[in-house]
Amino acid sequence: MIASGTDLLPRMRKRQIAPSVLLDISSFTEDLRYIRQTDGVVRLGALTTVTDLLESPVFHANLSIIREAAELFGAPQVRNVATVGGNVCSAASSEDLIPVFMALDASVKLISAKGERALPLKDFIVGKRETALGPSEILSEVSFAAPGGHSWTAYEKLGRRNMLIISIVNEALSLTLEDDLRTIGSARFALNRVSGRIPALAVRTNEFLGGRKLSEETIGQAQKVLASELSLTSDFRGSGSYRTEIAQAFLKRLLQRCSRMLGGAS
Amino acid sequence: MTKRVITLNVNGTEHPVQVDAPDRLIDVLRDQLGTKSVKEGCSTGDCGICAVLVDGRLVNSCLMLAAQCDGRRVLTLEGLLNDPSMKRLQGTFMANNAAQCGFCTPAMLMASWDLARHSSDPSPEEIKVAISGILCRCTGYYQIIDSVREGCRGGER
Amino acid sequence: MSEQVSQLIDSLRAKAERGELLYIGENVVRVDSLEKVLGNPVYTADLIPRGTVYAKLFHSAVPHGVIRGMDLGGAKAHPGVLGVLTSRDIPGLNESSAVLPDRQLFADPVVRSTADILGAVIAESSPAAADAAAKIRVEYDPLPAIFDPLEALKPDAVKIHPKGNIARQMKIRKGDVEEGFSKSDIILEKTYRTQFQDATPLEPEMGLAIPEDGGVRVIGSMQSPHHTQAAVAKVLKLPPQKVRVIQAVTGGAFGPKSDETPYDVCSTAALAAVKYRRPVFCGLDREDSMVMHTKRHPFVITHKTGVSKDGTLIADESKIVGDTGAYASLGVFVIVRATFHTVGAYEVPNVKADSFLVYTDNTYTGSLRGFGGPQAIFAIESQMEELARRLGMDPLEFRMRNMLVPGKRNATSALMDESCGLPQCLEKVVASSGYREKAARYRNQTGSVRRGLGLALLMHGNSLGPEGNDYGAVHIEVLSDGSVSVGSGLTEYGTGAISGMMQVASSILGVPLSRFKLERPDTSKHRESGPTVASRVVVIGGNASKQAAEKLREKLLPLAAEMLKARVDDVALADGIAFDRRKPSQTLTWDSLVTEAYRRGISLKEDGFFMAPPAPWDQEVGQGTPYVQYTWGALVTEVEVDMETGYYKVVGVHVAYDVGKAVNPGGVLGQIYGGTVQGLGYAMMEELLHKDGAVVNPNLGDYYIPTSMDIPAEFKAFIVEVPGPLGPFGAKIIAEPPIVLPGPAVRNAVLNATGVSVDDLPVTSEKVLMGMKLMQAPRQS
Repeated sequence: MIASGTDLLPRMRKRQIAPSVLLDISSFTEDLRYIRQTDGVVRLGALTTVTDLLESPVFHANLSIIREAAELFGAPQVRNVATVGGNVCSAASSEDLIPVFMALDASVKLISAKGERALPLKDFIVGKRETALGPSEILSEVSFAAPGGHSWTAYEKLGRRNMLIISIVNEALSLTLEDDLRTIGSARFALNRVSGRIPALAVRTNEFLGGRKLSEETIGQAQKVLASELSLTSDFRGSGSYRTEIAQAFLKRLLQRCSRMLGGAS
Repeated sequence: MTKRVITLNVNGTEHPVQVDAPDRLIDVLRDQLGTKSVKEGCSTGDCGICAVLVDGRLVNSCLMLAAQCDGRRVLTLEGLLNDPSMKRLQGTFMANNAAQCGFCTPAMLMASWDLARHSSDPSPEEIKVAISGILCRCTGYYQIIDSVREGCRGGER
Repeated sequence: MSEQVSQLIDSLRAKAERGELLYIGENVVRVDSLEKVLGNPVYTADLIPRGTVYAKLFHSAVPHGVIRGMDLGGAKAHPGVLGVLTSRDIPGLNESSAVLPDRQLFADPVVRSTADILGAVIAESSPAAADAAAKIRVEYDPLPAIFDPLEALKPDAVKIHPKGNIARQMKIRKGDVEEGFSKSDIILEKTYRTQFQDATPLEPEMGLAIPEDGGVRVIGSMQSPHHTQAAVAKVLKLPPQKVRVIQAVTGGAFGPKSDETPYDVCSTAALAAVKYRRPVFCGLDREDSMVMHTKRHPFVITHKTGVSKDGTLIADESKIVGDTGAYASLGVFVIVRATFHTVGAYEVPNVKADSFLVYTDNTYTGSLRGFGGPQAIFAIESQMEELARRLGMDPLEFRMRNMLVPGKRNATSALMDESCGLPQCLEKVVASSGYREKAARYRNQTGSVRRGLGLALLMHGNSLGPEGNDYGAVHIEVLSDGSVSVGSGLTEYGTGAISGMMQVASSILGVPLSRFKLERPDTSKHRESGPTVASRVVVIGGNASKQAAEKLREKLLPLAAEMLKARVDDVALADGIAFDRRKPSQTLTWDSLVTEAYRRGISLKEDGFFMAPPAPWDQEVGQGTPYVQYTWGALVTEVEVDMETGYYKVVGVHVAYDVGKAVNPGGVLGQIYGGTVQGLGYAMMEELLHKDGAVVNPNLGDYYIPTSMDIPAEFKAFIVEVPGPLGPFGAKIIAEPPIVLPGPAVRNAVLNATGVSVDDLPVTSEKVLMGMKLMQAPRQS
């Protein structure tokens, strides 16, 4: 299935895959290209482009992460055509939006002739470039609850240069603080790679953080939990140990930034 | 392989073209419609040298299947040769030595023209972002940025 | 006389005062600018006629082996395929090599790298040729492969070529290094490494061949049409006159298009054109280009350097190993330049250098902007920084103490004369960057974001130097409409040098460059002028152009004098107007002058020729004057490092080059900006990787060159002009030098910011971070 083809076509060119038939859904924009916010839920049609995200007035305040991630995404020509659905369905560690959506606890809607079903994003991505999409299903929507009062989501990315890169590390954190602005209500930290090359939530790290008071000590300990949770392979873009170091540095940075934005300590 | 007939509006003119499934927009533009200003630099969507405007948006024509462009409006440099804003940019590119080997020049001009439509006085940062998806190996970008800055100003809106 | 006319006359008079310097130093618009901003179809792929068939080269799957058999059946049967060419289809010599005859066009039977071309599929369309090529099955008897040049140097290493793995050796013996070391207070020995860099011209290599006249016409993207002609003629077994090669407008080159790849694509296209009697296009896509064309040699350079405690360099011994991959290509000269530049811009009384150009089974390396200079200067400038630290001296003071200035001698004992503009370059960048004040401020930083300054100095020997005769020919013809047509075997591929060369003629003749037209270099029309490499166009071509223009001027001035009824010595020509200096209101347009010349049958065609004086040097000891003049430079970079991730930005570049005379300052700046950014790519992010001999990242999504978002926010460039003896008006070369200094300057800046010495390029954030972690790790006692 092809929307913009920004991931698919280069892989075909390099002969990594050779589909005999391409099903083009790019013209179903009336049904599948939208950004809606109703009853505290943000809904993105699968054909929403990254530029649509960048230009939408919806993503400010504690949803500005969407705009941040869109700004750092690819290059203008790629942003203009790359789709939310395409990003999610590629299920690859190169897809910038996946950690963001995971941090936001997003769900996906899958439709077929038989009806529709919803799935949490973290369950939709089952392996490296593998999803739970059935053979006659289309991903039609990504949705998430707009973060509440004491929630902030932020994003960090690092690559070999500043633009047009496949990230070495690409992470998002959604932090919710209790009323004391110190106790962590919940933390959802997601990375482009946790184990092998699969984008996922850092489950143990998130569990560790939930309920603890945000402090330098907590952060230090969370970094250690993260290091033990990560099992990152090396490739020509970066070694596993380097990626682990960066992931830890970014965890700290994101915790501090989110806390600061919420009026808590940094 | 089955051929399909699609209709492409290129530079203001409707063209019915026959395409095979794997044909890309760049192939149709260069080989069937003769708009040779659209160049191919990498074939994987990483260099932007093939950038054109489709329905008003800058896209890499090597990454669009022609069949997906049925009914769309495409703009290449050939279609803007009489456009005052483009002529101004071409002039500033020449005056500032922004075209060295010239291979990225059409794409740079398309991105710059698109920027000029939205901004009459872009900052160097905005210009860098606008051309960030187009690689240049010759100029180091500085003289291009100067050209775009100068070319976007001093125009009637 | 009206005010306007009087002003015009005054302006003309003033211009005439400038004499031959009329347009020198002016930012004249290049002759080839207009066609580029119009997007005209002038590149090779734009010129493909109807009925052309396509050639797709296929290459080896193994890095070292013997071909046992090739199954071409699937390919030949693929729809649209006309045939498959292999070594059996070569009527002449199966050879495609630039210098040493060590490389075939189609490898048979031995393959020495995955870049070795085995043949070509010829088909009605490019996709058909590519799909058919994917069906070819080749069987190999593998041979042991070597990928590390230091391994290849070992006496028991597998021989990649029959004569062994050393393609060339060189040495320098100046003074007595052992004595020098014995007198040194500090001796430092360190090893530095550089990586494979890809040139990445945005237009890959391509050739179009059209059968004609018992021979073939070839149009292509290349740097050297005459060399390509010779190569194609050899393969096709045709006399060179039957192979006409025309250089199309070329979308960037940087070196590989002067090596074997244009021969490969043009010979293949020509072979197929003659065989199938159809026009044939052989164009590499980006992946093929990055696999098959020459890269920059990775080097391993060890310096052992002795200094006195007051910071005077006493002795330097270097071992220099360059990995030339499977074939020598231009490596035989790259190693020479690298060796001559082994101690860079410094005077060292005792120098010993031993260099080796070594074969491996990596894809082969050859020409790339800088040509051994970037590697050599990276090593010596890094070593200088380390020495300064060891001495506890400020890196600037240490460099100033030892740098070449008029009166000092370089590594080959060549005496630097008053044309050495290095001190002026250094002064400019030190002032512009605020070096002294900032270096003091950055000495004791704490905090998670830190800055550092890095300095590097450049000596760059001009033109071909020791590589052979350095000559060029330029032909100028004034046409009956007054336009001036210039033709040469020297080529333009982006630098603007050809336009600069024409600007010299325009200045001599007094006619604006806008009246000039460039002829496409054509072996049937233009004299062989050597390869367009080594940044030699303005210096060598410029002199030839000047000579041709002077001859034309000598013919036209007497005619103008007659028409103006003036003395020849009083006639001036500026902006296309000839006038009598004594009676300036009497004018004659260039067009009328030309018309009259034509009426009288005066021939307005002239040839200019220039050969650089010989550059003698002793091969045994590497001493002498291998270069006739030098370009000088200095660069200060400022970096800002995120200490928690190792990620850093270059926030400022301050650079100055002594170019002798800037014919077109805007053009010179263009080369400085472009070369510096390409050098920053080399310093920070570019790395073409091999795994078991196969290129890992032959595409622009995995091989990173700088984008507009990666360039330094602050970039100050200064042109210094200290005339040299070789070029027109004292011009020195500028096209290559700017790529050299960013490597060491960035490395040194990162060192000063973080304390981490990264001794192998590129300086990635991973190396910086992991270097910092190592420094923080508790020492084992």
